[in-house]
Amino acid sequence: MYRTDNVLETVRMLQEENLDVRTVTMGINLTDCADRNMDTVTGAVHAKITRKARNLVRICDEVSSRYGIPIINKRLAISPASVLLEGHGPREAVRLAQALDAAAAAIQVDLIGGYTALVQKGITSGERVLIESLPRALSLTERLCASVNIASTRAGINADGVLMVAEAIVRLAMATRERHGFGAAKLVVFANSAEDNPFMAGAYLGAGEPECVINVGVSGPGVVKRAVERLVSSCPGCTLDEIAETVKHTAFRVTRTGELIGREVAERLGVPFGVLDLSLAPTPRVGDSVGEIYQAMGIARIGAPGTTAAVALLNDAVKKGGAFASASVGGLSGAFIPVMEDHALAAAVAEGSLTLAKLEAMTAVCSVGLDMILVPGDTEAVTLAGIILDEAAIGVVNRKTTAVRIIPVPGAKPGDHVNFGGLFGSGVVMAITAPGGGADFARHGGHIPAPIQSLGN
Amino acid sequence: MTSSIARFAISVLTSDRVGIMRGITAAVADLGGNIEGISQTVVQGYFTVILIAAFPHDVTANAITDTVAAACPCGKGSVLVRHAGSVVPAPPPGPRYILTLMGREAPGILKQLTAYLAEKGINIEDWYFRVDGPAVTHIGEITVPPRLDIRQLQDDLRALLEPRDLRVHCRHENLFRATNEIESIRRMLGTEPGSDKV
Repeated sequence: MYRTDNVLETVRMLQEENLDVRTVTMGINLTDCADRNMDTVTGAVHAKITRKARNLVRICDEVSSRYGIPIINKRLAISPASVLLEGHGPREAVRLAQALDAAAAAIQVDLIGGYTALVQKGITSGERVLIESLPRALSLTERLCASVNIASTRAGINADGVLMVAEAIVRLAMATRERHGFGAAKLVVFANSAEDNPFMAGAYLGAGEPECVINVGVSGPGVVKRAVERLVSSCPGCTLDEIAETVKHTAFRVTRTGELIGREVAERLGVPFGVLDLSLAPTPRVGDSVGEIYQAMGIARIGAPGTTAAVALLNDAVKKGGAFASASVGGLSGAFIPVMEDHALAAAVAEGSLTLAKLEAMTAVCSVGLDMILVPGDTEAVTLAGIILDEAAIGVVNRKTTAVRIIPVPGAKPGDHVNFGGLFGSGVVMAITAPGGGADFARHGGHIPAPIQSLGN
Repeated sequence: MTSSIARFAISVLTSDRVGIMRGITAAVADLGGNIEGISQTVVQGYFTVILIAAFPHDVTANAITDTVAAACPCGKGSVLVRHAGSVVPAPPPGPRYILTLMGREAPGILKQLTAYLAEKGINIEDWYFRVDGPAVTHIGEITVPPRLDIRQLQDDLRALLEPRDLRVHCRHENLFRATNEIESIRRMLGTEPGSDKV
């Protein structure tokens, strides 16, 4: 017999507070599809993806029905595609991108990630081809997502790679200018990327991962927000450690829900279960916002003094609750701050309380980085490179993942409003302080050495 | 050869007050009985309990009734005793689901719902409901036969009850174990009795 209040609390999380499984992501190793003939590569890629993942959507739907929990996205994350491009040129790269997109469409998954290059220490010919192909590869496909890891605590920051990726972002935005540069929303630049991250645009199957694996991303900012609201409402004088404790307990329940779904999907598919990524990932819906959690904590205007501490409190409590709930917590696991995808963050940008500089400070203590940021379309590649370098420095020195997903909107200036629709949301173009002021620094290129923290052995 | 023990099902329904369980358990012990299973609750001031106990073979149902009624104390009419047989009946096969029903209270909800469940061969193992002003909340633990399609069942329940302004959901019990217990999820899935068709 179950306690009725426990049953009702679980039901409330699902029915009123938007708890869902944000993504079930199947990782597939495609390195055995490599060949000097791109026809052979694309044929092998299509065959392997459709063979491994043909039942993914059906089984996710079955498990979703069994537990009454929505599984919002079913996705694929492949091993870095740059491996398949060694010995090939940009034209073949685009063909590979289109083949991946077609395979994803054939099995009806939402997105496929792993059009990826890991260049933190140097760039191979295949990785160079992949980065140069990004504008065409992402503008000619729908479901394909890409990522480039340009830094790590062990390797330092590949400044040449940063410049290359920044150029690619500018060209990609221009290639999709009829959609306000939307193509750039499908590309993320990482420092210390996570090999088992199930969230897009940065999911890929990293080195050391199994041949095929199920990773799950569970969200639930609405659940955390309501829990904080109930605490503050019932106990207006509560302390910050009491808020942290409440978040931790809530994160426990959310994590357990995700692991239950992930393990059952994996078992039915006959593949190993990898990790459960408990990340508070918002959607543009009201009640599904990370920004609303900060507001519930007492940050009336997001970006005001105290915001960074609120992010740190939330991120840490989420990790602690998740770690207690499951031995399989991995990926990014923390609080995302994707500006366009979170209506409260987007509103704070629009009203001017949340600036790019403040967001950068917040990324030092959140789980990822500058995410879904709109900037003016005339922003130069060297300026984007400077932003990426700054963000990478935060990640490298603090031994954490940081990322930049930034969209130069062609023809737009600060304050303009852009709407991508759906889960990508809408927002206001942000101003960059002193754009170009650090251009000479970024243009030096080369390599920023690994920090002293890397010498841990 | 006759068995050396006799098992009885005993139920008591009486106005609630402190000490009823003490009286019942003392009566069972005084007769040499051993309690094997028990379920007790209080509904709007009425105490009710059902228990299964094994007694020496010479203890009769009448003796149990008299002793329990005297120990409670309550009238004999409040105590019902039946032979329970020597074999514990196997539970109906199939996974357990938690059915929740919330919405506007109205007469006949349970009649309509339980008729549907019985028609489908779905066993009700536990049921709770609470009325709060115009709103009602039902929580039921049910065993769903493996042959049933859970999505069809959910669709049927919605079609049956949503026109009455009621929200109904049927979710596998593991969800509630996962969110409220600390047992490992892997073990939870591995020890699940039976399987269902979804």
